[in-house]
Amino acid sequence: MQIRDLPYVDPGLPDVRSGPRFLLWLGRRQRGGQLRALSWGLLHFVSVMVLPYGVGRAVQAVVDRSGSSLALAGAMLAVAAVCIALGDTMLHRTAVTNWITAAARVQQLLIRKTSELGSLLTRRVAAGEVVAVSTGDVEKIGWFVEAVSRFLAAALTLVVVCVGLVIYQPALGVVVAVGVPLLALGVLPLLPRATELADVQREKAGRATELASDTVAGLRVLRGIGGEELFLKRYRRASQEVRTAAVRSARMWSAITAVQVLLPGLLLISVVWYGLGLVADGRIAVGELVTVYSAVMVLSYPLRHFEEIAMAYSFSRPSARRAARVLSLERIAATKTTGAGDGTLTGDLYDPATGLLAPAGALTAVVCGDPDAAGRLAERLGGHPAEPEGLPSALLGGVALDEQPLEAARTAVLVQDKDPVLLSGTLAELLDVPASGSVAADRALAAAESGDVLDALAQASLDNDPMAAPITERGRSLSGGQRQRLALARSLVTDPEVLVLDEPTSAVDSHTEARIADGLRNLRSGRTTVVFTSSPLLLDRAEQVVLVHEGKVAAVGVHRQLLSSEPRYRAVVTRETDAEQQLVGAQRGAPEAVFTKADTDDIEETA
Amino acid sequence: MIGLAPPDYDPAALRTATTLPVGTPATVRAYVGELLRRHRRAFVILIAVNTVAVVASMAGPWLLGSLVEKAADGARDLHLERTAALFAGALVVQAFFVRLVRLRGAMLGERMLADLREDFLVRSVGLPPGVLERAGTGDLLSRITTDVDRLANAMREAVPQLTIGVFWIVLLLGGLTVSAPQLAPAVLVAVPLLVAGCRWYFKRAPSAYRSEAAGYAAVAAVLAESVDAGRTVESHRLGGRRVALSDRRIKEWTAWERYTLYLRSVLFPVINLTHATVLTSVLMIGGVFVLQGWIGIGQLTTGALIAQMMVDPVNLILRWYDELQVAQVSLARLVGVREIEPEAGDDRVRPDGRDVRADEVHFGYREGVDVLHRVTMDVPPGTRLALVGPSGAGKSTLGRLLAGIYAPRTGHVTLGAAELSRMPAERVREHVALVNQEHHVFVGSLRDNLLLARSSAKDAELWAALGAVDADGWARALEDGLDAEVGSGGLALSPAQAQQIALARLVLADPHTLVLDEATSLLDPRAARHLERSLSRVLDGRTVVAIAHRLHTAHDADVIAVVENGRISELGSHDELVAAAGAYAALWRSWHG
Repeated sequence: MQIRDLPYVDPGLPDVRSGPRFLLWLGRRQRGGQLRALSWGLLHFVSVMVLPYGVGRAVQAVVDRSGSSLALAGAMLAVAAVCIALGDTMLHRTAVTNWITAAARVQQLLIRKTSELGSLLTRRVAAGEVVAVSTGDVEKIGWFVEAVSRFLAAALTLVVVCVGLVIYQPALGVVVAVGVPLLALGVLPLLPRATELADVQREKAGRATELASDTVAGLRVLRGIGGEELFLKRYRRASQEVRTAAVRSARMWSAITAVQVLLPGLLLISVVWYGLGLVADGRIAVGELVTVYSAVMVLSYPLRHFEEIAMAYSFSRPSARRAARVLSLERIAATKTTGAGDGTLTGDLYDPATGLLAPAGALTAVVCGDPDAAGRLAERLGGHPAEPEGLPSALLGGVALDEQPLEAARTAVLVQDKDPVLLSGTLAELLDVPASGSVAADRALAAAESGDVLDALAQASLDNDPMAAPITERGRSLSGGQRQRLALARSLVTDPEVLVLDEPTSAVDSHTEARIADGLRNLRSGRTTVVFTSSPLLLDRAEQVVLVHEGKVAAVGVHRQLLSSEPRYRAVVTRETDAEQQLVGAQRGAPEAVFTKADTDDIEETA
Repeated sequence: MIGLAPPDYDPAALRTATTLPVGTPATVRAYVGELLRRHRRAFVILIAVNTVAVVASMAGPWLLGSLVEKAADGARDLHLERTAALFAGALVVQAFFVRLVRLRGAMLGERMLADLREDFLVRSVGLPPGVLERAGTGDLLSRITTDVDRLANAMREAVPQLTIGVFWIVLLLGGLTVSAPQLAPAVLVAVPLLVAGCRWYFKRAPSAYRSEAAGYAAVAAVLAESVDAGRTVESHRLGGRRVALSDRRIKEWTAWERYTLYLRSVLFPVINLTHATVLTSVLMIGGVFVLQGWIGIGQLTTGALIAQMMVDPVNLILRWYDELQVAQVSLARLVGVREIEPEAGDDRVRPDGRDVRADEVHFGYREGVDVLHRVTMDVPPGTRLALVGPSGAGKSTLGRLLAGIYAPRTGHVTLGAAELSRMPAERVREHVALVNQEHHVFVGSLRDNLLLARSSAKDAELWAALGAVDADGWARALEDGLDAEVGSGGLALSPAQAQQIALARLVLADPHTLVLDEATSLLDPRAARHLERSLSRVLDGRTVVAIAHRLHTAHDADVIAVVENGRISELGSHDELVAAAGAYAALWRSWHG
């Protein structure tokens, strides 16, 4: 697999029984890449170890006063240099390719799992957990998978060097061969504590970042009412805690660095001590001593990979475990799907649990005193609720939606919940959703009264085209009312057989809401639409209004009729409670409002 | 290796104009200068301990060199014990000081990083409210998270490591010059290769790494959004498109990975060959010098070993120079916030009375495009004024002018005859508060969330404020009471509870004039009903300007102003406007039947 061939057409079916198994699975998928990295790594490390030999040969040549030997040593160094450069570059290329392909594969698996689970995902695991896998864990997993082949190359090289030294200069070679394993393992006992401290530091840094972004997110509140000093003081404290934790962690790492200097240094002293004795006895040449000394100096390079692989594994193990957990989630159907999903779902929409009937082709408004119950009812109307309550499935044209394949049910009925999310991208991309094709974007936008949103977007875009204007994540750059209208336009573009809207205009002002109600009725004429609302402006324009009270349909009629005949309906729609009705009704029968006037004589008429 | 052009699509390119300024090179330089001066002492200490460590590290090659010299001369007495003792002493000194270098470097880096992020937040919380309203907090937020993160590595590692690396190289060259002065020029043979390679690389690398990082962030962003919007994705059947989008982002990101890999494929051989060239030229040139009798064999050995030691500092410098380049952009974005002039305001401007007036006000967000035209109105103390009108008519803008957040382009907005826009923000908010849909609950204790409105308040006052907004019921039921941790990650509060906290803050802050902008619009009807009761208690006796979404809000106001196309088209009480049979009357009939 080359980087340019990414993404994978099919990232495969991972082994997610545990973290280590997942790592193993990832490694197996790129066996070829690992082998290539190993081979280039061997070339690189072995050539690096040739350098000391060349140095020793050169010094010996000078001792022997031989110009030709010196030239030979030079040629040897030159060849080694080319091999080092080639090996290093190719090792880096193959290792990075392994890293990237592993990371891309995990990202692809994650997005596929996320799309498959949809609304279910965040009910099973925290959203932060999934995002953490994508932002932090993938890198660590990739790092370990990539480091394996580099480590193997380094370890093999060390074996080769020790064996080579023993053969080249047995007396000194044995000293080195005994010393190297000690060097390799020397710092390992310190690593767990060091990674632990690094984790503490990261955690504190995360906390400080969270405080800072929280303060900035609420900055308008702070600037409007005060308290900046309070929050600054709090952030300074958190920031200094990060600093203290970081220094504590650095203390540990600096101790490791000291050990990394000390241990090879001790080996060097032993080599020199022992070697000079041999030189003095005439058993080895000066050049050979220099070779061994130089080799011990260079050894620290492959040795570092022991430390790295230990760290990579300790960092990536929790990451792999988390990734495996997220990827092992499955969508379990509450009921068996029996329908083949080939027939077109159409007809009246009926909910047996409440008795709610939305006739085909009509605009039905549903009034429900309890917004949570309304939300659950709306979700049930679309079939396959994320958390089944054990209630019978909604029926569309007599067919149980829960028993239809998910895709078929979602195609037939679109439920727009209370908090529809605007996905980032241009407006054109936002409105490019799977749709019937018979409602154009401009018609939907007009029906949702989005004229002023388009104006605002056109100003923000680079070329004054609102359709090309970027919408930020969750539509945060727009007001609540603007967001609602774009979400409504998106649902209208989809043009489903049945459209269920839950409080689609709660953040829109009355002027605009009235026009949206007209636009909605016109655009959806002849199509089945169900709107959960308590706004008189919408209710007034519905062909049929249903009052759902305590889980059952309590009344069916039209707005004006229900307003006069049904006190429970009036209570919800005009926001009166019984007690208030008695109180306020005595005054002038006005709806309860922001300005509750204790004394109407206080009114000053100013103009 | 065939050359590779950078990918066409650049994820780091800005899609929209940044809302806040980015620092100019001059401001960035000035800031860096200030930072260096502030930490001069720490730099000096770092350089000093580094010097000791490097000098000690050269003891080995030097001792070996002199031993080789003697051995080659056939000397029998090599003073082995003394040499070994010296060697061991130098090693202990080296290990001790290397540890200090690493620790001192981290301490310096951490201190600079802490300074930087705290400086940034101090600046941010001092921004004029008008700038925040206009720019939003998104840009600021990405600076405090992404940019601070990117700088963390640069400050924590790059600056100290580069300092170490540069002095390290200089000391090694010095050591070489002292022990074998004739060999020093041999090192220079490799310099042209290194300089040419690095120039080529560093011209391309920083922006490429920026794009690569942005590309990777975009992959993660698609996933984060898909997770967050799970329900929307499912109901709109967007799953397939999200997968396709993610795959496209992966393609864009990996194209940059491939490009930076190509850049390194050029740099790596250059560095490797540089090291080899240095070593070989020292050995060959030095070898010839020894054969000619110009230097001793010990000097050659020492020189070769020192040349070998140069690998580490050169790698160190190259590795962190990259990081520093990437960090520069982030630094410019952080420092840019310092360029926004804090609106000092005139401390002498004090309101005399509570009368709010707008006089011939024109206002626009952009040059030449006015949103409000000739708005004149008078809001006597204690009046309840409702602003109604279609979206985009200018209601919210008018509300923000009346709250002193924006200054009118022409005309005056005054409180007690004093111009609001000339007062410092801290003075304005003693008198006027703007309440909008944003009911931010800060991460922290419930107490902190209330104290921000009046830092001197006692617990009893906090409870009284909660009681005034009907929130003491649930608040007293909390296990930790005022110490309960709320906000993201803490106890989850309902939107209604969040709004009650916002109202309790108002009770504590006690401004006499309130501007309410759609304050309850995002709540469901049942919650809104409860809140409006609490709200009415808070509003009692104050001047209120309410931007009304719901007509029943307007109904009970003393005065209703209908705003259309930036002008006040109707003004009067509910009954007057209904009698006038204008736009308001038509809407009212449709609402109330």
